[in-house]
Amino acid sequence: MKTTVIGAYPKISDEHQDLRRALHRHDRGELDSGGLSGVLDESTRWAIGELDWVGVDVVNDGQVRWDDMLAPFARAWEGCDRGPLERFYDNNTYFRQPVITGPITTDGRTLVRDFEFARGVARGQLKAAVCGPLTFATLAEDRHYHSLEDRTLAVADAIAAEIRGLGAAGATLVDVEEPALVAHPEHFAIARAAIERLAATGVPLALQTYFFPADPLLDALAAFPVAQIGIDVRSRETHALDKLNALRQTVVLGIVDARNTRVETEGELVRLIDAALKRIPAEYLWLAPTTGLEYLPHTVAVEKLRALVTAAHAAGGVKA
Amino acid sequence: MSDQVLLTTTVGSFGKPDYLQKARNANARGKLGEAELTELERKATEEWIRRQERLDIDILVDGEMYRGDMVAYFAERLEGFRIGGLVRSYGNRYYHKPIIASPVRRPKPMTVDWFRFTQSLTDRPVKGMLTGPYTLLDWSYNEAYRTRREAALALAEVVRQEAEDLQAAGARYIQIDEPAIHARPEEIDIAIEAMGVVTQNLTAKTISHICYGDFAAIYPKVLELPVDQLDLAMANYGYRWLDLFDRDRFTKELAIGIVDVHSHDTESVATAAEGIRKGLRYVSKERLLPHPDCGLKTRTVEESEEKCRVVVEATKVVRAELARQATPAKTAR
Repeated sequence: MKTTVIGAYPKISDEHQDLRRALHRHDRGELDSGGLSGVLDESTRWAIGELDWVGVDVVNDGQVRWDDMLAPFARAWEGCDRGPLERFYDNNTYFRQPVITGPITTDGRTLVRDFEFARGVARGQLKAAVCGPLTFATLAEDRHYHSLEDRTLAVADAIAAEIRGLGAAGATLVDVEEPALVAHPEHFAIARAAIERLAATGVPLALQTYFFPADPLLDALAAFPVAQIGIDVRSRETHALDKLNALRQTVVLGIVDARNTRVETEGELVRLIDAALKRIPAEYLWLAPTTGLEYLPHTVAVEKLRALVTAAHAAGGVKA
Repeated sequence: MSDQVLLTTTVGSFGKPDYLQKARNANARGKLGEAELTELERKATEEWIRRQERLDIDILVDGEMYRGDMVAYFAERLEGFRIGGLVRSYGNRYYHKPIIASPVRRPKPMTVDWFRFTQSLTDRPVKGMLTGPYTLLDWSYNEAYRTRREAALALAEVVRQEAEDLQAAGARYIQIDEPAIHARPEEIDIAIEAMGVVTQNLTAKTISHICYGDFAAIYPKVLELPVDQLDLAMANYGYRWLDLFDRDRFTKELAIGIVDVHSHDTESVATAAEGIRKGLRYVSKERLLPHPDCGLKTRTVEESEEKCRVVVEATKVVRAELARQATPAKTAR
């Protein structure tokens, strides 16, 4: 059993507010883009350092440079503008809605520089992450493609190009963050067609679902061509834990609630892990927060990670 | 004012002047006392009242010079809440997300003194401004209550007490904002039930502001929210929510957002006036209230003022059109 994280890490803490100050200074024209980039790198180093220090086995770069999950792509891609602020699912967190104005194209190098920087920092295994095609397609305003399917598959081709770029840069695992799949289970066939295009890159993928229960999709998810599937079994009413044996992939089990401050006890977490181990073997089980830890204040995020790592060890996990 | 149509108003907050922002920072660092800060908050409030009068806004607000965040302000004054660490809302904006750590209770009124002070400064009506129970819940971490409904109803009870105290203090308009109401559309019954607790004994005009979310997901069900007036961001959305009213008639008063609040620039008077005309296709001039999309606290004083100016100017343009239509021309068309 390995421990891992999903999504964004808090960008600041009570003590570490360099990035917040730098962005204010950049806004006021007192710090140029190069200066800001340096602070972003330092903040990335800080985030990865914390994940390593707490003892998370497989880390990401904390997505420090991501304003929101869609932003890096909406900024970089041809055919995409950035529109109004919108609420991100049921969070008091907002994103800029991408506006698709023409055919989406990319050089596939949107995330390469950040991945290479993070690889130079991380001590342990590093994974990359991309926005899920269905998530991007359902949250964007579309002025070009004429159906959800066309839009999702066009986004998938662009995401596949990004994954190829990451693979060429050495990524061996890429999270595909796809909350839309569980938010809109009725679109699972489109999502699957999109994921197949990502899988064709040959880079191992982890399909991360969160915010909503995965119950209606567990059987369907087994057929997705990915190495791992992330399932939240903690933050919402769900019976997914009882049906994990429906899956054939490694399960990334979301067991610490990244959207509530109450820190889980070791007993609670070990019970969840034990229940999962009754359905799937330990080598097919990874443990994670339910979603990105940026929904929590930094101090609580760290406590949650500690609880995760401690419970993993208590339940018999071995460090990578 | 009673004969006036298209009454203008605002959503609640305005940009804080530099001296107040500095004083708040100094207070947070323990370098300025509460009494000194309050004095500056009163000064800034009075300045905003004068500005609103000068701009000729009809229904005023206190501008929330003494509030930071619309949930934290109440959380800091209610028993049962604990103030959490910083969490990002978007871009480089962070807020202290509160934690409901134990059952909530209101030890004393939270906004009534400010309402009394502000209303004493002007003959125009000032709105009492509260955050609704569902939003207080949704924008906090809930560690205390077993279910979200239980938490929302407990919060509704303390908001009811505050709203009734505002009414007793003379508030003729009480706004109970629910910007989180569409966060989980499947929970709208909880939001409606909780608002029913808040407004059950009120005779004042009740208003609820809703913004930044999928309004279509809760329409027309949201018409069951027991308030007289819905206050909606429209300019930011290109007025797309109005299309919903073609299918299901809008049955409340509509406060309509006609200038976007998240940009430094402001729409032209002509563009804003067009927004009012769009609203008039669905809601009569007696029941339509132009205003900026949302609170203006993220804008500077000057930007806030400019956005309000455009709202009022646009309203005057449309009022003049309506007056011309109402006066029969001498030559028949």
